[in-house]
Amino acid sequence: MSEFHRKIERNTMRFVLAIIVVASIGGIVEIAPLFTIKSTVEAAPNMRVYTPLELAGRSIYMREGCYACHSQMIRTLRDEVERYGPYSLAVESQYDHPMLWGSKRTGPDIARVGEKYSDAWHVAHLYNPRDVVPESVMPAYRWLLRNELRIDDLPGHLRAMRDVGVPYTDAMIENAAKDAFGQAAPESDAAVGVTERYGAATHMRAFDGNAGRLTEMDALVAYLQIMGKLTDAAQKTEQTKIGE
Amino acid sequence: MIARLTVAERQSALLILIVMSFLGLAMAAAGRGTPFGLHGFLVIAASIGVGLPLLRKFYAPEPDPAQFEQYYDDPTKVGIVLAMLWAIAGMFVGVWVAALLAWPDLTIDAAWASFGRLRPIHTSGVIFGFGGNALIATSFHVLQRTSRARLPDQLSPWFVLLGYNLFCVVAATGYMMGVTQSKEYAEPEWYADIWLVIVWVVYFLIYIRTLARRKEPHIYVANWYYMAFILVVAILHIVNNLAVPVSFGDFKSYSAFSGVQDAMTQWWYGHNAVAFFLTAGFLGMLYYYLPKRAGRPIFSYRLSIISFWGITFMYMWAGSHHLHYTALPQWVQTLGMTFSIVLLVPSWASAGNALATLNGAWHKVRDDATLRFMMVAAVFYGISTFEGSFMAIRAVNSLSHYTDWTVGHVHAGALGWVAMITFGSIYALVPWMWKRETMYSARLIEVHFWLALAGTVVYVFAMWNSGIIQGLMWRTYTDSGTLAYSFIDSLVAMHPYYIARAFGGLLFLLGAIVGTYNVLMTIRVAKRERAQSGGGTDVPSYGRDPVLQAGE
Amino acid sequence: MHDMVVAFSKSWGLFYLVALAVGVVIYAYWPANRARFTRAKNSILDKDDRPWS
Ligand code: HEM
Ligand code: HEM
Repeated sequence: MSEFHRKIERNTMRFVLAIIVVASIGGIVEIAPLFTIKSTVEAAPNMRVYTPLELAGRSIYMREGCYACHSQMIRTLRDEVERYGPYSLAVESQYDHPMLWGSKRTGPDIARVGEKYSDAWHVAHLYNPRDVVPESVMPAYRWLLRNELRIDDLPGHLRAMRDVGVPYTDAMIENAAKDAFGQAAPESDAAVGVTERYGAATHMRAFDGNAGRLTEMDALVAYLQIMGKLTDAAQKTEQTKIGE
Repeated sequence: MIARLTVAERQSALLILIVMSFLGLAMAAAGRGTPFGLHGFLVIAASIGVGLPLLRKFYAPEPDPAQFEQYYDDPTKVGIVLAMLWAIAGMFVGVWVAALLAWPDLTIDAAWASFGRLRPIHTSGVIFGFGGNALIATSFHVLQRTSRARLPDQLSPWFVLLGYNLFCVVAATGYMMGVTQSKEYAEPEWYADIWLVIVWVVYFLIYIRTLARRKEPHIYVANWYYMAFILVVAILHIVNNLAVPVSFGDFKSYSAFSGVQDAMTQWWYGHNAVAFFLTAGFLGMLYYYLPKRAGRPIFSYRLSIISFWGITFMYMWAGSHHLHYTALPQWVQTLGMTFSIVLLVPSWASAGNALATLNGAWHKVRDDATLRFMMVAAVFYGISTFEGSFMAIRAVNSLSHYTDWTVGHVHAGALGWVAMITFGSIYALVPWMWKRETMYSARLIEVHFWLALAGTVVYVFAMWNSGIIQGLMWRTYTDSGTLAYSFIDSLVAMHPYYIARAFGGLLFLLGAIVGTYNVLMTIRVAKRERAQSGGGTDVPSYGRDPVLQAGE
Repeated sequence: MHDMVVAFSKSWGLFYLVALAVGVVIYAYWPANRARFTRAKNSILDKDDRPWS
């Protein structure tokens, strides 16, 4: 035993290997089974993917660091379920590359904020949170209304998402830029085909209140309004794990 | 410093800088006007910024061969100064974000100055900028002294130090422009990540090559910790950052993992970033500078070995305690909780070992603020690991998770342990590096110590209070069985604590500024003295006890 | 298949932990190592002004 360790230590490379092996075991044992498992992620046949506009909104959510203050993971605790809604299921974030569960609630959980408030409320709130919630400490995001949304690169984004396993079709990728514009301008020609590709329940409206101009605000509000709405699996599953 | 490089090293350096400039140019061209392109220009600017002074000394004669009989400490010196400057920058942003939580309008109407973009600048600035530079600087020093061998060459340490700082600057400026992967503590995007891998491989090779040349048969335990830090951070970094970029020319990438697998991978990374970046490396400092400064060997070498393997093994299992009561399968949560609790044993073994080393030298701790920094660091290490193991219990975590309690725990570790052991080590190291008996001012070290301790206590108590209040308010029911408080009620209750936290942080920041001033003045005074007397020898800065001065 | 992986993870982890702990403790307390450790812990305190040749 002792001779063995002395050799390990005298020979630096062997010492290095020892550290790697000892350290890797825990990660491998815990993470590997999550990839073989089927029951980690419940089946949800009606799960839909993010539209290009929602995906762009999600990127803005990440860019502005919203995840630093808002969680998107309702735990299996009674008070959380009563405050925020049915607890989050693994399947709900299966198209989230990366996940945005968060680790801090400076603001409330927003996993189920979709359709809870009007678009106008969100726009006003993002423009200056203290106009609608006087005690809020959330930053004001005025530039979202000023900045035009960049859409020409959206096909590339969808393609990258497909490369990591999200089932975007060729038609979705091809029409990504047009669909992004169309979703927020339902009267325009660009709107044709969006619901065909993403489902009849897709929100088609000028999220920032102005259909002529596609802003970053449109994208972010579109994303907020779909949160928790990609599947109804959580509403349908019996919430048996509370307090477990 | 450049004249001390050999001619061949200067030529290789120039070659590397030229390659980097071309890479920068390619980035600038591909990214035209986007943040990616701007980072291309940053790379070019950095290459030129290093290249100009290099060219000025390019044709200087070969250095005096006598220098190869000495340790090579130039990168360590620069690393120390960089660490202090990052400390000020990172903590300044920390105070700023703390103030924003108390007074949200205390900023300008610009995207880069909003909380969400500043916060990662704070976390990366202090962890990677301050902590990382301190780790690199001290590791080169400890490695050479304990191996009794010089670094294998003079170029690769510079590549590591400067390349690493380029990574930090790309990261911080990226956040301002909205470039982030959003993974906590792994925010930098794919191109910065690839760059860090290259830097890290060179760092690892320096370690291996120096150890291979060592004259001391046994590898001193501090190096084990530094090695674990280097190796495991490499593994974590590569796995957690696997992603598909949209294109070359676009900063954005999509993580290879999603949902629950991504959550587990991220917190396996996140927790072990704590373990191997914020703990293992700094334990390396503790195991070298504390005994050195106290002039006494570590209390139990055996215990240090046992805790080393304990920490290396067990931390890797603990990541899932960040995901209690979530959609992660429960057996993984239970496993994480169990190992987190057992983890207390090796953690306290280290903390206890450090304190037992000081037993019998308490008069030095009383008189020497440098040693006191290290002692307090060991105490806070003990406190924050106890707290961590406690918070990893599922029932406790149901209260603490998502609240300021976590932030309090983080800063008990970050301020009390990481920053204090770093300041202590730097105060021990600076006179040694610049060949003086002492720092410029012992009084200022004392001032720094009390500012740091007061700041930490105020910060941590404020967050413990607010976190527990917050957690309790969220789960309080009225008699009729409905939730008693709205979310906003809990937010309002936080306000006084957020002010207190900002104040505590300000004290801590002032301390760091005082410390930086002291370091810079020491350097200045040393230079003046050297100009007068013409060079000194390597003086390890032991405690003030004259009996313990170097015997040779 | 999955059940096997999980069962292996759950049981083997514990076994591995115990084996590692025993191994490390034996190493640390192996009598022949005592001299080396004593030397190692004192080694940092002296003769570090220059590399050894
Ligand atoms: C001047 C001293 C400091 C101040 C005022 C300060 C302030 C802050 C604030 C306000 C936050 C955000 C908390 C929130 O979102 O609710 C934060 C987060 C954080 N800080 Fe500091 N900080 C300081 C020093 C440090 C140091 C020295 C370190 C590390 C070595 C550090 C590491 C972190 C980390 C890791 C987080 C993220 C915590 C989490 O996500 O749970 N901080 N800090
Ligand atoms: C035995 C040692 C430790 C254990 C078991 C432990 C455990 C924990 C737990 C349970 C959490 C809360 C997770 C959550 O609810 O989200 C946490 C968070 C954290 N701990 Fe520790 N901890 C330990 C030591 C340390 C030390 C020494 C530091 C040093 C700085 C540290 C830094 C952090 C950070 C930065 C976070 C926040 C992560 C985030 O949510 O962003 N921990 N730790």
